[in-house]
Amino acid sequence: MYGIFMECWVTFKLYGGNGFLLALFVASLIYLLIMEKELYKKLVIAIAPFIILIGFFIPVTKIVFVAVFEDGADTYYRILWMIQMGVIIAYAACKLIERHKRIGLVITAIVVMLSGSLVYNNQYVSKAENLYHIPQSVIDVVDAIAPLEGESRVRAVFPSEMVHFVRQYNTNILMPYGRDMISSQWSYYNAVHEEMEREGSVDAEALVTATREAKCRYIILSEDRVVDGNLIEEGLVLVDTIDGYLIYEDPEVE
Amino acid sequence: MVILWLLIIPLCVGMLVNSILPQSKKTLGITFLGGYLLLFSVFELIAIPCMIKIQYSAFKYCVRYYIIACVILTIAGIAVAVKRAIVAFKSDTNTKGFNMLKSICKALFPGDSNSSAEDLLNPRVKTSDIKMQYSVEGIIYWAIFALIVLFQLYMAFTRAFFDGDDAYYVVESLLAQQADVMNTIEPYTGISTSLDIRHAFAVITMWIAFIAKVSGIHATIVSHTVIPLLFIPMIYLVYIEIAHILFRKKQDMIPVFMIIISLIVMFGNTSIYTSETFMMMRTWQGKAMVANFVLPMIIWLYLWLFECKARDNVVWAFLFMLNMFAGMCSSLGIFFGDGLMALLTLILLIYTRKFKVVPLAIISIIPSVIYLAVYLIVKMS
Repeated sequence: MYGIFMECWVTFKLYGGNGFLLALFVASLIYLLIMEKELYKKLVIAIAPFIILIGFFIPVTKIVFVAVFEDGADTYYRILWMIQMGVIIAYAACKLIERHKRIGLVITAIVVMLSGSLVYNNQYVSKAENLYHIPQSVIDVVDAIAPLEGESRVRAVFPSEMVHFVRQYNTNILMPYGRDMISSQWSYYNAVHEEMEREGSVDAEALVTATREAKCRYIILSEDRVVDGNLIEEGLVLVDTIDGYLIYEDPEVE
Repeated sequence: MVILWLLIIPLCVGMLVNSILPQSKKTLGITFLGGYLLLFSVFELIAIPCMIKIQYSAFKYCVRYYIIACVILTIAGIAVAVKRAIVAFKSDTNTKGFNMLKSICKALFPGDSNSSAEDLLNPRVKTSDIKMQYSVEGIIYWAIFALIVLFQLYMAFTRAFFDGDDAYYVVESLLAQQADVMNTIEPYTGISTSLDIRHAFAVITMWIAFIAKVSGIHATIVSHTVIPLLFIPMIYLVYIEIAHILFRKKQDMIPVFMIIISLIVMFGNTSIYTSETFMMMRTWQGKAMVANFVLPMIIWLYLWLFECKARDNVVWAFLFMLNMFAGMCSSLGIFFGDGLMALLTLILLIYTRKFKVVPLAIISIIPSVIYLAVYLIVKMS
C-alpha cells in the first residue's frame, strides 16, 4: 500500500512539474478551508476538492482506477482534473487582494508568471506554416503524389517526422504504418518501418523488397538520408525533389 | 457558413433553453452555452445510432438527419425569440431605433441588464439577482482580460501545437468529411477496420467533421484553427459564470478573478498533464474539453444549486445535457463527470437536507447509464 501511495505522490509531483503552481494550489486550498466564511462556497471550492485530493492519494482509488480503465496506470493523473486548481488559486488570491486590488493583482500576476511555465515556450509549439497547422513540406509532398479525382488511392511510405501529418492533410494517401509504429509507447513490428528507420543508412534492396510487399507506390526519403545501394537501380523512378525530400515512384506497384 | 453554424444557430437554439431559465440567468452567455449543450445532445442522439446501424456512408446520413434537427430547433428558437420581442415591442410602443433594439435585447436577455433603483430597494428581490454597473476600474480590468484572451486567440491561430494524438482524432474527422465513414477506417494507415468502440463513442470528432462538411472547410483546419477560436472563449464564459456566483456581492472582483484565471491558463504548462496544457495545446480533443469545459461547468452548476438551495430545477436539465456532452467527448468524461456530480450531490444533500436532489441527480446521469449500456452491448456483440 505504501508503494502505491508513493506512486500517487510521484504522479502528483509529475503533474505539477516545477511544483511552484502546485504549492500555490495547496496553499490556496488550505487558506480557503480556513478563511472562507460562506459555507456553500467553502463546500464546493474547498471541501469537495480536498476530498478528491485525499481520494487521489488513497491507494485503493488507484487500484480500482487501474482495474477499471485499460490504460489506468498512465491516466491516473486525470483525476486531478476534477480539482479546478486554477479556480481555487484565483479565488484565494482574489480574497487576499480584495482590499488592495491594484498592487495585489500585479503581485499575483508576477507570482503566477514566475511559478508557471508559458505554454508558448513549449518545445512542441511552433509558428504555423499554414491554416492546417502542419508542416508545409508535408503538404507539398502529398500534393505531388496525391491521386486525382476518380483515381484510386495510393500507398506511400514517409520518413518518421512526416508520418503524423500525412493523413491529417489527405486521407487518400495510405501508409504501410502510422504513428503507432514510431511512438515509443508501442513496440510493434513492421518490415517497412524496420528498413525505413534502420540506424545509419537505408539498405536500398531490403527497403524496396519490403515496400513492394506492402504495395507502396511511393517512397519519400529525406535528402540527408544515407542509402546503401541505389534505389533507381532497384527499379524506382525519382519523380521529384520537394522541400529537401526525394520522391521515388515504384512502377511495379499499381 | 462557419459563423452560421458556430454562432448564430447555437444562439437561436439557445433561446429554447433561455425560455426555461430563471430571469436572472437569462443572459447572452448562458443562452449560448445552453444552445450548444442542446445541440451537442441532439448530435449524440443522431450520431451514435447512425454509426452503429448504418454500414455504408453513415456520416452522410448523420449529416442529413442532424441538419434537419438543427433547422427544426433553430426555427423553434427563433419563434420563441420573436414572440418575446413582440411582447416587448407592444409593451413599449413609444421607443424607436436604437432604444427599441435595446429594449428587445432586454426582453430576450433580461439577466444582462443592471438592476434598477427599485430592485435595489425591493426586499423581495434576491441578492443573487442584483446586478450593478461596473466601476471605471472594473471596466479597465475587463479590458485587460479581453486583451489577454485576444492574445491567446491570436496565438491559437498563428501557432501550431504538435500532438501525436492528432494522427488519430483529427484524421477520424477528416475521414468522415472525405470518405463519409464513421470510425470504420483505421486512421493511421487507411485500411478498413471494424468499429473501434473504445474511441468511436466519443463522437466529438464527428461533430467537428460535421462543421467541416457544412462549412466546406478542411476538417484539420476546423480542428486546429477554428475550434480553439470557439472553445477558448466558451471555457472563459463558464469561468465568468463561476465568478458571478463567487463574487456576488463584490462584482468588481469578477474581472480581477478572470485576469488571474487567464494567466494561470497561459502559464499552466508546468507539465504535459495539466488541464491548462490540454486546453491550450489540444483544445479540439475530447479529453481537453472534458477537463476544461465539462468539469468547470459542473462546478458552476453546483455552485448555482448550492446558492439557490436546490430550488432551480433547470440546473438538472443542464446537467443532463452536460452528461451527454461528456460522453460525446470521451468515455472518461462520463466517469469523471459523474464521479464529481456524485460527490457534490452528496454534499448538497447534507447542505440543503432536501432528499429530492438525489432522484434529480440520478435522472441527470441517465444519459451516462444509457451510454455505458450501449457501449457494453456493442462491445460484446
